[in-house]
Amino acid sequence: MRRADLFIGLGLLAFAGAYYRASFDIAMGFASDRLGPTFFPRLLAAALAACALGLVARAARDRSDPGPLPPVRTGTLVLVVGLTVGYGLALRPLGYPVATALFLAAVIRALGHRDLRTLAGVAVGVTAVLYLVFARALHVLVPMGPLGGR
Amino acid sequence: MLDRFVLGAQIAGQPLALLMMLFGVAWGIVGGALPGISGSIAMALLLPLTFGMDPAVALMMLAGVYIGAMYGGSITAILIRTPGTPGAAATVIDGYELHRRGLSGKALGVSLVTGTVGGLASVVILVAFAVPLSRVALAFGPPEYFALGVFGLALISSFVGRDLLKGAISALLGLIVATAGTDPFSGTPRFVFGGTDLLTGVEVAAGMIGLFAVSEIFYQVAEGGAWETIRGKFTTALPTWVELVRLRVAMLVGIVMGTIEGLLPGGGGAIAAFIAYNETKRWSKHPEEFGRGSLEGVAAPETANNVVTGTALIPLLTFGIPGSNSAAIMLAAMMLHGIAPGPQLFERSPQLVYGLFVGLVIANLMMLGLGLLALRPAIAVVNVRPPLLFAAILALVLIGAYSISNRMFEVWVVLLMGLVGYGMRRFGFNVLAMVLGLVLGFLVEVNLRRSLLISLGNPWVFFTRPISLVLLVFALITLLWPIVRRARDDHAVRRAAAAA
Repeated sequence: MRRADLFIGLGLLAFAGAYYRASFDIAMGFASDRLGPTFFPRLLAAALAACALGLVARAARDRSDPGPLPPVRTGTLVLVVGLTVGYGLALRPLGYPVATALFLAAVIRALGHRDLRTLAGVAVGVTAVLYLVFARALHVLVPMGPLGGR
Repeated sequence: MLDRFVLGAQIAGQPLALLMMLFGVAWGIVGGALPGISGSIAMALLLPLTFGMDPAVALMMLAGVYIGAMYGGSITAILIRTPGTPGAAATVIDGYELHRRGLSGKALGVSLVTGTVGGLASVVILVAFAVPLSRVALAFGPPEYFALGVFGLALISSFVGRDLLKGAISALLGLIVATAGTDPFSGTPRFVFGGTDLLTGVEVAAGMIGLFAVSEIFYQVAEGGAWETIRGKFTTALPTWVELVRLRVAMLVGIVMGTIEGLLPGGGGAIAAFIAYNETKRWSKHPEEFGRGSLEGVAAPETANNVVTGTALIPLLTFGIPGSNSAAIMLAAMMLHGIAPGPQLFERSPQLVYGLFVGLVIANLMMLGLGLLALRPAIAVVNVRPPLLFAAILALVLIGAYSISNRMFEVWVVLLMGLVGYGMRRFGFNVLAMVLGLVLGFLVEVNLRRSLLISLGNPWVFFTRPISLVLLVFALITLLWPIVRRARDDHAVRRAAAAA
């Protein structure tokens, strides 16, 4: 039995159910066509449920040993994802330049680079280039936090 | 038609367009040289930059990235036996052998020149196929577009490998994500969870950046191995006329194979390159040199994968169906600008289509020039330590996502899609299938409902109109053919094993 596929199949089945259930919250509206806004989502939910059941059945039936999955550096991945989420949350309060420089430095460090001079240089340099390209050249309204202005 | 090419030349000849194409080609060479960063990922990273551009310029720049990436991929294939892009995988065989014999510069030069020849040939093929096909497609109504969307989804069968079930699930997930937002008929909000962020739906560009680029970074962080660095100094040595004449068969085979594979659903640069390599070996006067450092062994795959840069655009421009990652990114760029690809595009926006045709010619010529100059910078970037590179790419992706709508919502979408994409890769699902579902969801749903509205609910409307029927039959064949072929191959293997 392929355990990963079995659990993924069950998860997808639950997701299809939740998606189908959520379609009942859609208001029909006055200007709708005969099929309405719920027809296509319900069709997709049914198709996903059928495929998920197929995956579960296949995983339960399969007696072959698929071998172990390649090893994962879970800690590093979780750290990088966590830093990215933290960056998203810090962007408005700290402002783009400060948050980005800190994010870059933290990710570089998390990925195992130890030379502080390179780390600081890349963090500041990349932040400056991205700020110039997006905020100045492309006029993206990046949050500036305590630095104020644009 | 000549006046349209003149219009295209005027658009492509603008200083800003030239500058952006130059930047695109340079970015493509550098991005393509980085193992793991394929041409489509390099294109996805630039998607947010296109938002403020004229759409014609944006498409030309992205096409430039794709073209540049094809050469960039061959740099690491030749110098460190690691193809920077999947399309350069076949170049490794003889390119690296030439490098070992001290002929790195010559291998790089042959890759550059034959790639340019392939790229220029692809523009001629693109124009020859796309213009007549777009006229046929003008007769399409909602049932034909629905059938076309189904055909597009059936393409999944040809590139998901052996696991069609996981491919179908991947596509369904993309279709489900595409249903979030405002219902196209009634204006009713769907799956917006009481908020306003999702009212305009999930931005396709954000979805693609997450699924293609961020998932690749997460993959490299979690499972990637150490990168080899390129040692030594290299210069590109262009092939002589005599050498080019000797390579004519290899280039011709590359053009033919690149055209066939580019037009076929799910075909791509990598498959075209390998087939061209094998066929050239069969036709060559010196097949014994293949695998030991043959210039023909570099010329054939490099011509073929560059031909695909143009031919892969044919289904996109004529029918609005992306058949490859790079075409999907081009589609996302069009959608960012509110442009619907398809036959109407040739009539409504000739400046965009013909500007792209002329732009492709210019970008290929730029690649020839930049390929000579950008070798050292590309090697320098390949030698940048991965932590610095991954951090910089993540920072670029996140500000790029923010810039799509000047809000944090797209940043979260990119991150979530990155995680979903990584999980999909790890457990054998298909990211491109999900992207296809995401980009085709609107087309399929709207034209299904529109068709049934016209036919008063009669589903036979899809089978009584000849073009729609033909497309649905093609979709069925496209879906079933790889399954039949695999079953036949498996049967042959079992029989051979039993006989042994």
